[in-house]
Amino acid sequence: MVRRKSSDKDQSPQSRLHALGVARLNLIGKHSSQLMDAYIKGHFDETSVNDSALDKLVKGRILHRPDETQPLSLRPDLNGLIASLTEDERKRQINADVAGQLEQIRTRVKHFTDAQYRGDYAGSEHHFQLLTEKVHDMTGQFSDAIVSLWNRLNSDFGFVSNLSDKIRENELAQKQLRRLLDGFELIDFNELIELAQSSGPLRKLLVSQLQVVISDHSSSLLEVQKRLVELMARFRQQQERAQLISNMAAFLKQHPNFQVGDYPNRSKVPENINIAAPIIASASVALDKVGDQQELGDIVRSLELTTSTPVEPLVSGGEFDLEEVLAIEAKHQQLKEDVENFFISLFDGEQSVSALAYLEETALDWDGETWLFQVIAEYEGLARDIRQRFTFEKMKHPKSAFNQLEIIEDVHLSVI
Amino acid sequence: MIEHGPLLETLLAGASICIVTDEEAYRRLSDEVVREELNHFLRPLNRRVASSNDGSVYFLAYQELNTTAREHLSKEFKQTIQSLLPLLEWMQMVQESLGRDGALSAGDTIKFQEFALRTEDNQSLRQRFNLLASDRFFKSNSDNLDSQLKQVFKRLKETGYLHQPHKDRQFYIVTGKIEQLVEMVRFIKDEESLPLDDMPQQESMF
Repeated sequence: MVRRKSSDKDQSPQSRLHALGVARLNLIGKHSSQLMDAYIKGHFDETSVNDSALDKLVKGRILHRPDETQPLSLRPDLNGLIASLTEDERKRQINADVAGQLEQIRTRVKHFTDAQYRGDYAGSEHHFQLLTEKVHDMTGQFSDAIVSLWNRLNSDFGFVSNLSDKIRENELAQKQLRRLLDGFELIDFNELIELAQSSGPLRKLLVSQLQVVISDHSSSLLEVQKRLVELMARFRQQQERAQLISNMAAFLKQHPNFQVGDYPNRSKVPENINIAAPIIASASVALDKVGDQQELGDIVRSLELTTSTPVEPLVSGGEFDLEEVLAIEAKHQQLKEDVENFFISLFDGEQSVSALAYLEETALDWDGETWLFQVIAEYEGLARDIRQRFTFEKMKHPKSAFNQLEIIEDVHLSVI
Repeated sequence: MIEHGPLLETLLAGASICIVTDEEAYRRLSDEVVREELNHFLRPLNRRVASSNDGSVYFLAYQELNTTAREHLSKEFKQTIQSLLPLLEWMQMVQESLGRDGALSAGDTIKFQEFALRTEDNQSLRQRFNLLASDRFFKSNSDNLDSQLKQVFKRLKETGYLHQPHKDRQFYIVTGKIEQLVEMVRFIKDEESLPLDDMPQQESMF
């Protein structure tokens, strides 16, 4: 294994690079958890790994010490890589150094054309590959930057908690955006056409493909810009509102006796205090419209009405008139006595006697109905053996053919 | 006209109509033709349809400001001024306790339970709420946080600042009346030339 590795090293610079890259990536993978901790906390916990591992991480250009007094932390490149992989908008960088990238592209184009000129096909192919990568790198960075801007926009800058932070983040995003747009202007397609000359693949790479990508990105960026400005206006409005409320509350607390103007009695009353008093539109049952009667009748029928026990409002504390009660009691007693006398009178004769006829004869001052009721009640109230000594006959006739209701007109009694 | 009957009745009863309280009615009132029709009907009652500056709320205003109208307005305005501080305090507390970005505005939702929990957990919020609930606008005379909370939300619902879409769910939506209130605050500030903009800025102390 070791021998093979060393033989690899000897083979070519490319395979050496490959082996080193794999080793470094493995190193990152091996300590991924500690590295992520460092990403979040901002510094690397040196006690979390042993000395040799720490040494490897520093030599592997993964960790560094910004200056003597600072703790170990992630190299900016790695920070950026993690931010990009995790789409962490707090730390994601926008690389808008278009000028530098263009410079590199120009150089690579020269390498490529020189190699072609020399007839070095392997060399020219290699340079073309690097050039393609460079162009894709650049456009890839653009789209990453744009995606990042959109993400921040769509989350309403939710990664910071308060409004003033959001306003600052929005300002930052707008600056980044302007730098990107400025960068796009640096891309001069006339120059690129000249660079590509008559080479088909170069023209395709540098002119037609790039043009499509850049014009897409530009329109996307302009849209983001519009939305950022709108969002900023909203943030500012919210801020103004919150400030107005807290300032007014503070003012009112400081000035408890604060008097406002007498707006309602001004000659010109401000619109916002003109709020009218409520009017309740009420209506009652009306029977003056013949057409409504059917419907009202339906409503009444559908109601569950009980008329037998009208609920009288409870009146309490009225004076109790004892005399009146006593008068009624005396009257009832008199009625009872008169009826008893009627029964006694029956023993004087043998014929059956009409109760009403007796009432008329004796000229007693009782209502006929009351009299009959009392007579019947008296009879019913007699002991059974005594009752048998009387004949008792109710003079009655049916009220109607459809029910059993009968009207008692008189009662005839006699002693057996 | 008959199709606007229920809407007229609601307006006459003193309701303010916004997109939260009654979306259908709000949409109808946004039509100038409908407002004209209603105004025609309302003229003998000395009423007209009015709206807040931003057009988010419709309500009835007096057509002509006679003595009775002015008397009523004076009474109402006095009450509004008295309710200003408690309402502003309450808005700030909601914003702080629920960690909102900006001040409360129409359409924001408030979950009673969430607000109650945050207030309970935070000693200083709790004290402030205790003080707020006993204000004569909220009229709570209980020492118990739970009944104070209930009373405050009940009053806000009664006065039309909160709308509860489901009777049995403790979930509220802020109505357009809040916008009217903020408008009123801005108006008073401008009208009385209050030096509010120069006030020392107190970033939230909590």
